[in-house]
Amino acid sequence: MNLFISRDELIRWLDQLLRERILAAPVQVQGLTLFQPISKVEEVTLDFGNTTLSPKEWFLPPTETLFSMQGNDGHPQLVPSTIEKDAVIFGLRPCDAKGIALMDGPFLREPGDALYQERRARTSLIGLSCRQVQPECFCTSVGSAPNDSSHVDILLTEIENGYIVQVITEKGKALLPEGLTESKEELPAPPELQAVPTKEVTQAVREFFDNPYWEQLADRCLHCNICAYVCPTCYCFDVRDYPNKGNPERVRSWDSCQSTGFTRIAGGYDPRAAKGARLRQRFSHKLLYFPEEFQDIACVGCGRCVKSCPVNIDIREVMSDLQQLEAKSGS
Amino acid sequence: MDSELIQQIRYQARDLLESGTVKGVIGYERASDGLTARPFFAYEPAAVERLIFDETCSHNLARYLVDKKNEKMAVVVKPCDSRAINLLLNEEQIKRDMVFVIGVTCPGVVETSWNHKDEELQARCKTCQLVEPPVYDFLANGEAVERPQGEPYLDVQQMETKPITERKAFWSEQFDRCIRCYACRQVCPGCYCPECFVEQLNPLWVGIRIAPKENELWQIMRAFHLAGRCIGCDECERVCPVDIPLSLLNRKLEKEVKELFDFQAGLNPEEQPPLATFKKEEKLGFEE
Amino acid sequence: MNSEYQPKIIGFLCNWCSYAGADMAGTSRMRYEPNIRIIRVPCSGRVDPILLLKCFQQGVDGVLVSGCHPGDCHYNEGNYHARRKFALLRDLLDYLGIGKERLRIEWCSASEGQRFVDKVSNFTKEIAELGPRSGS
Repeated sequence: MNLFISRDELIRWLDQLLRERILAAPVQVQGLTLFQPISKVEEVTLDFGNTTLSPKEWFLPPTETLFSMQGNDGHPQLVPSTIEKDAVIFGLRPCDAKGIALMDGPFLREPGDALYQERRARTSLIGLSCRQVQPECFCTSVGSAPNDSSHVDILLTEIENGYIVQVITEKGKALLPEGLTESKEELPAPPELQAVPTKEVTQAVREFFDNPYWEQLADRCLHCNICAYVCPTCYCFDVRDYPNKGNPERVRSWDSCQSTGFTRIAGGYDPRAAKGARLRQRFSHKLLYFPEEFQDIACVGCGRCVKSCPVNIDIREVMSDLQQLEAKSGS
Repeated sequence: MDSELIQQIRYQARDLLESGTVKGVIGYERASDGLTARPFFAYEPAAVERLIFDETCSHNLARYLVDKKNEKMAVVVKPCDSRAINLLLNEEQIKRDMVFVIGVTCPGVVETSWNHKDEELQARCKTCQLVEPPVYDFLANGEAVERPQGEPYLDVQQMETKPITERKAFWSEQFDRCIRCYACRQVCPGCYCPECFVEQLNPLWVGIRIAPKENELWQIMRAFHLAGRCIGCDECERVCPVDIPLSLLNRKLEKEVKELFDFQAGLNPEEQPPLATFKKEEKLGFEE
Repeated sequence: MNSEYQPKIIGFLCNWCSYAGADMAGTSRMRYEPNIRIIRVPCSGRVDPILLLKCFQQGVDGVLVSGCHPGDCHYNEGNYHARRKFALLRDLLDYLGIGKERLRIEWCSASEGQRFVDKVSNFTKEIAELGPRSGS
């Protein structure tokens, strides 16, 4: 049984959530749409395709202190989670919700990342299904859909006077305001998307690991960090200790397998210095290593990398090219 | 699309590849959106059919020459891009006989992002004084070029006149958004240091923290490292995923260098850069 | 000067002229504000803008760079290069709202102890008035 919430009721609900928790929602910032904590419901924008940066930063922040050492006795004290209040992420798309679910694989399996675990436990996800798709979207080719409710606590679908509310989890149920009526309308059909062939891509990456395709593709790659940073499922990070004037702290920040020096080791040797190898790594991780480990391609079809790559390295094109390599070799 | 121009580029590229004069030609091809352009490396004569040139060709291809130092390459450049070639020659990062420059008389490029193309020319094109590249081996001459000749530093001047608190608030807000993807650095032909100062561990100038103080240090120092070197292609601003107005930052120093030292980067590979030289008598605004 | 707020000032002094000048001020028992911490460098031309920005990032409120008078550089031209670099850096700091007053370039010779004292005193008072380098 689905519920219905009017626009006015939604505003009141968000306002109420704001008081008790941190509410992160899409906000217009100088021509971009970014998930930011809001203090007034008016700041929220729901008129967007998808945000420029994914909501993964709410679970794996660009920078965080893992722990610091207080006092001179040398026993490190774990810094408590930076969420003092519980949090709600409002307005995330099904693809991004799937992205978080994919990150759960490496971050929640034993022994688990303590900070990620706490954030995950104390954050609720209110999704917003897509009534329209963008030219860069391809979620249906990688196991998601514009109306996929699998990975959120509540999913809202916009209709004429408000939203149909699907309550997915107990966590979501606890979040709902009182007095919502049953929805009179059926869920609308999701929009259609172009299909991208992905069936044989894992095998293709495995088989064509040494193919010159990668070196050629990498000719134009700038090896910046854009694709990894905008991606909902890329989670590489670097960890450094800082002396911090007598209270040393261990800091974790985003990093990317694309950047020069990512694989540089003590002594200066870099086993993955070649551009082709570095570019291949990101695709190998998403399309081969992650599926081998977690049984799912680490790509949710949000298209952010397609949109943001300065030199148009398009993962859909790469997947198609790789599978065609297979066809040519006739194996 | 100016098909005459494209034919000239393809003809020259094919000739260079067939004769083995160059290992490859760095040019532009159509991107996956079917609308904009992307860099393309042609290594076979047959591949030159993919080369295009139109108003979406914003990328500065000279940047790739530092990756390909060991092979002779041809590169398609607009007038602004060819200034980067002069810069790299001046700083002895490439050898003149290792690059064949296919210059283009450029009508200007428009604002583009994936699957999106503006009608209006980019800001840098509206103030560009160059019609022909200052360096080329072959000039692909297309239709006659007519570009507006605007005043180059109007937005910088406007920023200069704002009260200091407003400037501080503005730039703090911009730098706060930086996610240190380093796309600005990676796309820049002037940023070719094998070890960038942000990667240095000892001394640790910036470190890995992605936070306002560190972002500020990164942004200011990169701008300063480009003082007297930035050739104004504005690619850094185009590639920034969070829309930081890098051109507004870099052109401030470009303006100061022009006013104080009467110098513009990349017009002449032989000219002494301003920070590598000096005048015994000069008033630079702070002495009594 | 507000006795509660004590500005933090770093001074990069060239070994041959300015540092010797500061030394002379010391041996002559001249008094000046103790807010400045001096770092000795071989030449004002050695001072890299990144050092100055790092100072600001670490909470320093004002930075002084002092070298030999132009024409008298111990290494012949170091201070000419410094002059150009810091002219640009000051303009940039001003443009970004950090303020050109927080970076002071002076020329002070080995015999100019009093001049050194005057410049430091002056600068310290200015920074005290400007206040802490907040927001960073």
